[in-house]
Amino acid sequence: MRSALQSRWLVTLAALFCFSQVLLAQTPALYTQWENFTTANGMPDAKVFSVAVDGDRVWAGTEDGLVLIEKSKITKVFHTADGLPNRVVTGIAVDKKTGDVWLATFGGLSRFSGGKFQNFNSMTTGLANDIVYGVAIQDEFVWVATAAGVNRFNTRTGEWSIFSDRTAPMHEPWAYGIAVGDQKVYVAVWGGGILEYDIAGGYWKPYTDPDGEMEIVLFKNQGLIHDIVSGVSYNPNTGMFWASTYFGMSGYDGHNWFNYLSTDSGLASDFVNATQTRGDDVWACTDKGLSYLNFKTNTWVTYRPSKESGHGEIVITGPAKKETKFDTPTSLAHNYILNLAFQGEDIWVATAAGLSHGMHQSHKEGKTNEQARASR
Amino acid sequence: MKAGSRRDRRGSSLLPYALVVASVLAALLAPAWTETAQVSAASSGTSQNNYLTPVAARFSPDGTKLYVVCEDDDSVLAVDVRTQRVVGKAKVGHNPKDLAVSPDGKTLYVSNEWSDTVSVLDTAQWKVRRTLATGWGPRGLTTDRLGKILYVANSIGNDVSVLNLATGAELKRLSALRSPHYVQLSRDGRRIYVSNLLPYLTSPDESPVSELTVIETQKQTVAERILIPGVLELRHIAEAPGPQGDYLLIPFMRPKNLNPLIQVANGWILTHGVAIVHMAKASGASTAHSAVTQILLDDIDHYYAGVDGAAFTPDGRYALVTHSEAATVSVIDTRLLGQRLRHVSAADLPNRLDTAREIVVHRLPTQSDPTDVVVAPDGHSAYVVNRLDDSLTVLDIPRFHVRSRIDLGGPKEISTLRRGEQLFHDAKFCFQGQFACSTCHPDDHIDGVAWNLETPQLGRDRVANRTLRNIAETAPFKWNGHNPDLETQCGPRIAKFLFHSEGFNAKQLADLVAFVKSIPQSPNRHLASDGQLTGAQERGRNIFFQKSCHTCHPPATHYTAKTSSDVGTASKYDTSGLFDIPQLDRIYEKPPYLHNGEAQSLEEIWTLYNPTDKHGVTSDMSKEQLNDLVEFLKTL
Repeated sequence: MRSALQSRWLVTLAALFCFSQVLLAQTPALYTQWENFTTANGMPDAKVFSVAVDGDRVWAGTEDGLVLIEKSKITKVFHTADGLPNRVVTGIAVDKKTGDVWLATFGGLSRFSGGKFQNFNSMTTGLANDIVYGVAIQDEFVWVATAAGVNRFNTRTGEWSIFSDRTAPMHEPWAYGIAVGDQKVYVAVWGGGILEYDIAGGYWKPYTDPDGEMEIVLFKNQGLIHDIVSGVSYNPNTGMFWASTYFGMSGYDGHNWFNYLSTDSGLASDFVNATQTRGDDVWACTDKGLSYLNFKTNTWVTYRPSKESGHGEIVITGPAKKETKFDTPTSLAHNYILNLAFQGEDIWVATAAGLSHGMHQSHKEGKTNEQARASR
Repeated sequence: MKAGSRRDRRGSSLLPYALVVASVLAALLAPAWTETAQVSAASSGTSQNNYLTPVAARFSPDGTKLYVVCEDDDSVLAVDVRTQRVVGKAKVGHNPKDLAVSPDGKTLYVSNEWSDTVSVLDTAQWKVRRTLATGWGPRGLTTDRLGKILYVANSIGNDVSVLNLATGAELKRLSALRSPHYVQLSRDGRRIYVSNLLPYLTSPDESPVSELTVIETQKQTVAERILIPGVLELRHIAEAPGPQGDYLLIPFMRPKNLNPLIQVANGWILTHGVAIVHMAKASGASTAHSAVTQILLDDIDHYYAGVDGAAFTPDGRYALVTHSEAATVSVIDTRLLGQRLRHVSAADLPNRLDTAREIVVHRLPTQSDPTDVVVAPDGHSAYVVNRLDDSLTVLDIPRFHVRSRIDLGGPKEISTLRRGEQLFHDAKFCFQGQFACSTCHPDDHIDGVAWNLETPQLGRDRVANRTLRNIAETAPFKWNGHNPDLETQCGPRIAKFLFHSEGFNAKQLADLVAFVKSIPQSPNRHLASDGQLTGAQERGRNIFFQKSCHTCHPPATHYTAKTSSDVGTASKYDTSGLFDIPQLDRIYEKPPYLHNGEAQSLEEIWTLYNPTDKHGVTSDMSKEQLNDLVEFLKTL
């Protein structure tokens, strides 16, 4: 005889399945299965600032070291004693060509290659500042977001270029995030909006909040939603860049702006730490959960731990702002989300209380993704 | 270009006239100056002093031909193994250093260190088919097992170019360590091994640590960086055949550079041996743990300097190692080597001078500067490349004796500069043959470490090695500026403080100095071919002159005022704060910096070691300005 709890899960899963049928054309399946890596099972620190996927490997940057996860197991934790330049790892970028892993830390930049760290700081190299928030790869160039501007490091010639308030339209020096687009590099400047660098032309173009207001949005969809930008990502499928700010989220396709606030969309919170994209989808890492936007259907999904049940909660918000909620047996490790990365159809989420792995449903069913689609 | 005489040209008092004549000849014979192959039979009719200077050799897959690269002649030779005669010669790029043969034997790849290219030759037509661009200073190279990918070690760029041989395009560049020189494909085709000549940049009071870089061929990524502590100048890589245990053998120099070099007479200061590397079964960030053991090939009372070439016999029973500065090949019995490795702990072996007598079964003489050795596919003979004799020494493998010498066709006369270069590479002038000039100045350059050179007190007056390239006009010499000329530097000073022997006689000294003065500068990779500066370089040049750097580093004299100056860099271990102002030519090739090698990068000279602005007023410079200054310095 099934318990009441079991029955409730079955109903929930059935409802989720039905809903996923609706969203199927545009979205991957909802994530109802989560595994969490926390200090209880091997993470060196609760706070996970960054995560990156390199094939079967997952790298996680924490407040106390770098973590390597292989086949859902923590296989190595790197500390400063292993050569890591600083315990705080804020950003990770994998060079798909060389396989090198570049790390942004609070003690400079580091390259992990062949099992060894090669470290770069402002005393020994041309790095602008040792507080490094972000790193991105553009061919043989490594772009670095620091507390004193942006660096471009040419790995072939060893040249370090600095773009700061002296050499770029950067009103504030704090570069929080960096992303490489098609012939463009985008920089998230905390208090300075988004800077776009034209690679061929070698010039900068700034995007700032047109109303200049700190607390309100006067000109929605007429420009960047706010100047305090915490991160930026580029979607190669749509050609859009997405900016996360502490006062909402913005997307720009080269002609039109698409701005979102928690008050008029399914965005979990206006305090957005980072964005990432996959296909048509945009993911927003907020202080109140992980939100996902299907850009074509304007449908939102937010994942967060449920305060009431202690389980997971999925909130689906349609274009008419109609909300549908589901409980899930497992959940994100925390609702304060700092970043995420994709591994096939799985996602890895950096939170303030651990790293969470959202497993695509077909994993549990033991089917391939193609089989799962066919069965629907 | 008749490049074999590059050093002779520089050393000649007739240089201006020679240049005019050469220019006229160049105009008349323009096609011959290109990298197009020039097919010709073996010739002994080369002009006087136009030496070949062979540096590397490889067999064709069927073993009938031996291909030899000649660095001073900008050429590659084909030697018929049966007749032992040179049957082909093709011109390649400038200063070729190494070669690889495609798996089907139809193509040769020759690395041109000063052209930053690889020449691709058709072995049937004996023509250069195309030229591929690489990184800076290509040297060692190999194809993958299928012959589709070419890996090239870039000695100046400190990286490895991965080239698609179908398109000729460079797919990627993988970081190595410092001055990667030699490359070897593993027998199973899964890995590429890259040996780095220079060690990690470390504090001057630390022993050197070298690196063998391991590339995984499937992903074309760096899979492992194997540290080899206490040694530098990793050379050729030989892999033992499977039945012998799948290990690598890599020659090295093991210095006691932190001990006063004046203790050479006590022995055991500069030792020479090979690293034995057992590769980890799996490579990766968390699992790779390859095992490294070191053995010395010196005897207790005599040393064998300049370990360089390495090869195994096909059955793996013997390993052959050349000693370029002792004109010798050591033959190691690998069974005895295995016993030695089992009976003596890995911790003891690197400092045991009694190993060679247990495992070296033959010491065979060669001609001057044997840099490479290859064993014929049938295992019956080995060929040693005698760099400064323009010849090959043929060894009988079963009986281990010298069978013959193959003359590659260089000039018969030995010029002053050639004699000088031979002396430079000859360790017999040092007490017990511990080292030659070239031991610490590989490629006439630096070994990348600091030495306790002349002061008998441990740890005092340590000084970084300095390059010998293009130093003829930069007197005085030594970091303390006490040697007014090279005759003093290379004569009594070396004899008394370094060699602990009688040193060179007057004639030899004159030859040696003539050679050192003729050592050319390498091409500048940071300066555009038209001399145009980039924006950063231009800004840096303005800073250089605004900050009056040119007062002590005047452009007209290789950026040295040729005197000593106190720039506040002396440590408590230095007797004096006055140091010779170094020339700045090709400064990017010379880390570490400052007299004791404390500064591991150009930036550190000012960020860490100029606290009182004695080395120029730089504390007011922004980070952007400092970066610009560094970019300009690299153009010098």
